[in-house]
Amino acid sequence: MRKEMKKLLGTGLAGLSVAAMLSGCTGTEGGADTAQVSAADNGDAAVVGFIFVGAKDDYGYNKAAYLGSLAVEEKFGDKVKVLRSENVPETEEASRTLEQMIQQGATVLFPTSYGHLYPAMDVAEKHPDLVFYHQGGLECADNLGTYFGTIYEPYYLAGMAAGAATESDKLGFVGSFPIPQVIENINAFELGAKAMNPDVTTTVIFTSSWSDPALQTSAANSLIDSGCDVIAQHQDSTKTIIELCEDKGVYAVGYHADASELAPNMWLTAAIWKWDELFCDMAETAIEGKFDGSIYDGKYRAGIAEGVVDLASFGPSVSQETKDAINEVKQKMIDGTFSAFSGLIKDQNGNVVCEDGHTMTVDEAESMNYFVEGVIGTIEE
Amino acid sequence: MYGIYGETITERVGVINLGTEGCMIAGALAGYAFTYKSGLPFMGVLMGALCGGLLAFIHSLLVIYRGANQLATGLTIMFMGVGITAFLGIDYVSVSCKGLSPVAIPLLSQIPVLGPVVFNQDILTYISYILCPLLTWFLFKSRSGLILRAAGEDSEVLSVYGYNPKLVKMAGVILGGMISGIGGAQLSMAYTHTWIENMTNGRGVVAVALVVLAGYNPKYAMIGAYVFGGAQALQLLLQAQGVNISTFILQMFPYIFTIFALFIAAKSGKQSAPAELKKIIESSAN
Amino acid sequence: MIKKLKGTKDILMTFVSLLVAVLVYGIFLIISGVNPLDIYSQMITQTLGNGYGIGQVIVKSTPFILVAVATTISAKAGLVNVGGEGQLVLGALTSTIAAVFLLDGFPSFIGIPLMAVAGMLGGMFWSGLAGVMRVCWNMNETLTTVIMNYIAYDIVAYAVYGRLKDPESFNWPMSPKIGAQLKLPEIYPGVSIGIIIAVVISLTTWFILSKSTGGYKLRVIGGNVEAARHAGIPVAATQIKAFLISGAISGLAGMIEIAGVEGRLRTTTGTNYGYYGFLAAWMAWNNPLAAIFTALLIGFLSVSGNVVEISSGLPSSCTKILMAIILLSILWKGKKK
Repeated sequence: MRKEMKKLLGTGLAGLSVAAMLSGCTGTEGGADTAQVSAADNGDAAVVGFIFVGAKDDYGYNKAAYLGSLAVEEKFGDKVKVLRSENVPETEEASRTLEQMIQQGATVLFPTSYGHLYPAMDVAEKHPDLVFYHQGGLECADNLGTYFGTIYEPYYLAGMAAGAATESDKLGFVGSFPIPQVIENINAFELGAKAMNPDVTTTVIFTSSWSDPALQTSAANSLIDSGCDVIAQHQDSTKTIIELCEDKGVYAVGYHADASELAPNMWLTAAIWKWDELFCDMAETAIEGKFDGSIYDGKYRAGIAEGVVDLASFGPSVSQETKDAINEVKQKMIDGTFSAFSGLIKDQNGNVVCEDGHTMTVDEAESMNYFVEGVIGTIEE
Repeated sequence: MYGIYGETITERVGVINLGTEGCMIAGALAGYAFTYKSGLPFMGVLMGALCGGLLAFIHSLLVIYRGANQLATGLTIMFMGVGITAFLGIDYVSVSCKGLSPVAIPLLSQIPVLGPVVFNQDILTYISYILCPLLTWFLFKSRSGLILRAAGEDSEVLSVYGYNPKLVKMAGVILGGMISGIGGAQLSMAYTHTWIENMTNGRGVVAVALVVLAGYNPKYAMIGAYVFGGAQALQLLLQAQGVNISTFILQMFPYIFTIFALFIAAKSGKQSAPAELKKIIESSAN
Repeated sequence: MIKKLKGTKDILMTFVSLLVAVLVYGIFLIISGVNPLDIYSQMITQTLGNGYGIGQVIVKSTPFILVAVATTISAKAGLVNVGGEGQLVLGALTSTIAAVFLLDGFPSFIGIPLMAVAGMLGGMFWSGLAGVMRVCWNMNETLTTVIMNYIAYDIVAYAVYGRLKDPESFNWPMSPKIGAQLKLPEIYPGVSIGIIIAVVISLTTWFILSKSTGGYKLRVIGGNVEAARHAGIPVAATQIKAFLISGAISGLAGMIEIAGVEGRLRTTTGTNYGYYGFLAAWMAWNNPLAAIFTALLIGFLSVSGNVVEISSGLPSSCTKILMAIILLSILWKGKKK
């Protein structure tokens, strides 16, 4: 019994002693005692915080947002201090991280993943004087605006390239999770492909992971084995599948960033993000206190017209004819005379999901829960 | 695959290494990074083995000489492997390197259906085919194997014969870690040609589980690995066929298969944990 | 007297090993180009220097404590339960289902206990399966519990993407919010009574394990199954019971995550909490009281690691490295018997 108590005390003290020792370090430094100190360290600079759901080096979604945050840092130099946190899960952990940033003086915050929305809402309510920009959200608050790029526009265009390229009329798509952002892209891809080639189908495999290269490889191999000769994807790290396509001699459609150098022969094109200017402008608006009533105070959506999303360079196999057709549609998108999700669209089961003559609203498009006709795959009802 | 062989050796000397995941991820990064730097896949495999071995060395040091709890140490090694590789590996996320490409074996790869699958693989996969009989021979027929197994069964007997059981155990754990490291290297260098943090994604943990399933025998370990891999491939195949079953239910397949296989294994009484391992598990429970 | 000396030495050793860890990580930080003194002082001031930070450490540690206690109970019966993770996640699922579909109209004093029961049943069901497989079919429980963790994630995903999806979430995979009256009362802004429940449970467990006959039986089985059988202790029944209780506690941890912290179920709720709890238990040599402290230590490290990342710009993997170094050095201290 006595022995047990000692043992217990020993382990228990482990916890306390870390604290004690660490504060010892503080002492030698001359007593930096309060959180205010680090806030004061910022001087006159405004502090902008970014949180990312994954690693900044994923060559995908998070990398794109991370590059945006770098652009903010570069543009404003000493005037703005940028805080970042990667791998922030979409749970209460996100509120915790936002609060920690606020303690370090952050006044403008960018929670950049869809699941960060509700935690950010809670934090925003507690700090009405700060500005929050959420990436992809469909709900707003007084001091929380959401922004997103209509990435499905370039994905529709990429679908056109794929539809023109395929010989087997079977396209493959390696998805991550069956969430609306992914479903939108798959549907736009199929619709674009069908515009060029009415017989085309898209087969979808979900990996339930944003970046598991081994699973991506197996999934892409499965699709290729079942006859698909174009592989598109919605994964955070796109490199594995693109290189695999080059090896296997099937066409590759990329995502997030231009990766044409990874597949010099088989590359078609990709839908890519360009956050830089938007992030800088949003940060500036908030720092200058002009958030209220600005275009960002609400649901801000920008697309190909604004240059927030774009189509990557074309690969060597895309014919001039196809390029012309794609550029024509792209120009119509920029002019606002064409939308990927308009006109008569049916789902997998033949139900009409978009009436003839109707163009889907942001809310309709961003809460998709069905595959359009021609997509082979299953999602929960 | 390799992870399982590595762990079989480790457990044969009476040590569980939940850190197999850590050894694999270390091997994955080291293999990729050194191949990239040197341009020699051989170097990559070697360094992958060394780094896997290094983590296993830390594990064995703590467990065997300091009497630390195996499971906790293994988990910590796993967190450490994932953390350190994520930190050191940043520069390699975006680089491309050829690594190991498939080499088709003439004639054999022409066999319909099976040929391209079995005989058009990278060198490491070929080695994994022969590794199973090799390990079986090593563990059950060779003198060193006998000593290793003895360390797992009854270390006192071993010391009577003049061997230091602790050193023997350590050697076994490190050897296991090295093989797991090669497993990681195969994943990054040969299968995916990619390095990304946390890319092993629990495969090391599953490997530990499969070793137990396989009754600590490389032969069954190989079958276990193929059953798991096969179930994984099947779920992807079903998705590609557009089967109307929820993705998430399909994704449970490999795991349910494994549990089912374990049930069969338990029924037929194939499990025989090395005695020291049993002892350690039981005593550490106090 | 000798015993006392030994105890002091033990504490001293703990200090030394921690000091080594802090030094090693300090060197690592210097190599990475940041000042370790700055980092350490920030870790302290920004987590322990204010009420919010301390509260977050406590909130983060609560599930670790519970899973650690759960792991301990099965360990005492000679079983290695690595399934705290899956049991927690499933407990979170069943308590959310109960809260959303059944208990919405119930007042707090009935609703919360029922939700807790639902969570415990969920965890029990999952651990019970593993327990039955172990006892009746002699299937290794370390293996089954690990594998069942992965199945549990998929079940939660299935539910959250399917029937349990919030109709107002624009098809994002998350459950509806649980009723406000079902949230656990708070003892401090942001800190629910979950921590009190956790501490009480670990105290009770410690007491029962070391004082009661039930605890004695359990320890006999854990010590030597054969001896226990000879002594006429019903080994199978006791082991299953231990597993059920252990699952119930992990399930309760899941319910506390939902009712005390998250307020809704997501696919990532509680990920890795089970493993951290497992670690806390084994670091504490399966002593439920010591586990409170090891769980708090792990909680502190994960919360303060976040601070380091934000303020120093180091990648998030550095937190894992720090945690691993500290844990390794504590493990290095070894077991004093």
